[in-house]
Amino acid sequence: MIEIRNLTKKFGDFTAVDGLDLTIGTGEFFGLLGPNGAGKTTTISMMSTVLLPTSGEILIDGNKLDRKATAAKRKLSVITQEYSMRQDMTMDEVMEYQGRLYYMPKKEIRRKSDELLEFAGLIDYRHRVVRHLSGGMKRKLMVCRALMTEPQILLLDEPTAGMDAISRRQMWNLLRQLHSRNITILLTTHYIDEAQSLCDRVALIDHGKLDIIDTPEALIEALGGFAVDETSEETLVCHYFKTREEAIEYLEKAGRDAVLRGTTLEDVFVERIGRRLSQK
Amino acid sequence: MGVLAVLWEKWREFRRDFYKITLAAVITPLMYLIVFGLGIQTTSHGEPYLNFLIPGIVSLSTMTGSFSAVAQNMSVQRLYEKALDQVMVSPTPLWQFLMGQVIGGSLRGMYAGCMILVLTLPIRTGLIFNGYSFLIMFLNGTVFSTLALVLSFLAKSYTDAPRYTAYIITPMSFLCNTFFSTDAMPMGIRQVVAALPLSQTSGMMRGVASGLGFSPWGMVILIAYLVAFSLISVTFIYKKKNL
Repeated sequence: MIEIRNLTKKFGDFTAVDGLDLTIGTGEFFGLLGPNGAGKTTTISMMSTVLLPTSGEILIDGNKLDRKATAAKRKLSVITQEYSMRQDMTMDEVMEYQGRLYYMPKKEIRRKSDELLEFAGLIDYRHRVVRHLSGGMKRKLMVCRALMTEPQILLLDEPTAGMDAISRRQMWNLLRQLHSRNITILLTTHYIDEAQSLCDRVALIDHGKLDIIDTPEALIEALGGFAVDETSEETLVCHYFKTREEAIEYLEKAGRDAVLRGTTLEDVFVERIGRRLSQK
Repeated sequence: MGVLAVLWEKWREFRRDFYKITLAAVITPLMYLIVFGLGIQTTSHGEPYLNFLIPGIVSLSTMTGSFSAVAQNMSVQRLYEKALDQVMVSPTPLWQFLMGQVIGGSLRGMYAGCMILVLTLPIRTGLIFNGYSFLIMFLNGTVFSTLALVLSFLAKSYTDAPRYTAYIITPMSFLCNTFFSTDAMPMGIRQVVAALPLSQTSGMMRGVASGLGFSPWGMVILIAYLVAFSLISVTFIYKKKNL
């Protein structure tokens, strides 16, 4: 279980994360959503101990996570937004270095490395140097590296950023498989459809503060499960309704430039966060 | 042991860049030897100048080899590749990571120093290099590896590493008992320069090479630098808010 208590991070006068409180259960797939600069990556960086909080704390199964907490860190693996690995290493070397940092026996490193690179379709490129890999291959390699140590908790910071649609779907399937193995996953993403498809619960954060936290279904239900998009020459206005009947009734009055559809988590995001941003 | 993981990483880097590392380690010191030692034929304290120069050049090579191995590697890992994140989140104790960097850096420095010894072997100077020489070289390497760690934690950009070399390492190369004795310096400056680690290393290397032995104070001073830089780098890696 991950407990984040009153977590705050300041950079000078700027508060990137502001008193964040979250509890993520064991085996839960949890999404952290927010616009650019909301504090998602800062939160992940504090969880990987690269940044230290200004105040507050993070607990992993009841133990405080800090740079000395080797037992808590053993449970964690992180896939960062940037390709955070030695660019001059081959794929094999990246995997071996990870295994060595986690005190894995050499045979086990070899076995897991073969298994994961095969699984990710990278086995034929294992001797290729990281700097010569495509963006998608680097992402897959980062996933392989993170899974090398069989983590109990996986922190994913924009894991599908820059991936094409097919690779993204492959990654989703991989994450679902991991989730089915009872791994706790914390995902930050810009792709709201990704969070809706994968996450058990999501938290919306804005300016480092928690806005709302719930299941995607409950958040959609609260806004209204049916949406009517009404387009004019310049704008698109969405209207939300609790029942299909209400939505159809509105649609009939609205005329032909209106479309009925199911509400998505993106609508919730736009309504809660986007509206606030546009008001500013 | 996390130390071994880091040493493995350093060994891998050494094997891959063997020719580049070797060339970089020998070219500048070799130029110094040729120009100052063989080109400008002179004597110092009644002996060939080369006898004065070689221990100083070996010390200098140990310093630059160790410093550049750690400063460049750490700055790039921390600020450009962000590969340090992988270490930070791993269960490897961070002091072990630092220790691996220091030992690896020092061994690289010793390699550079040994290359100079090999290259000067045919000159037959009669200088003595023994176990003490290697101990001094190793200790000098650890001092400059830990200094490199401290500076790489202070760096704001990975391009700062070459700047630190220009500001700190290059002046030390020329002033610290390498090409001329610190005794020739004016009062005040002499004492400051003599207390710097490279001056101590060069002095001790020269003492061993001439068969006169060396003052244990030199060792004490180097160990004091090592302890101070180690404590600062350990404090940085455990306490620095934003790595």
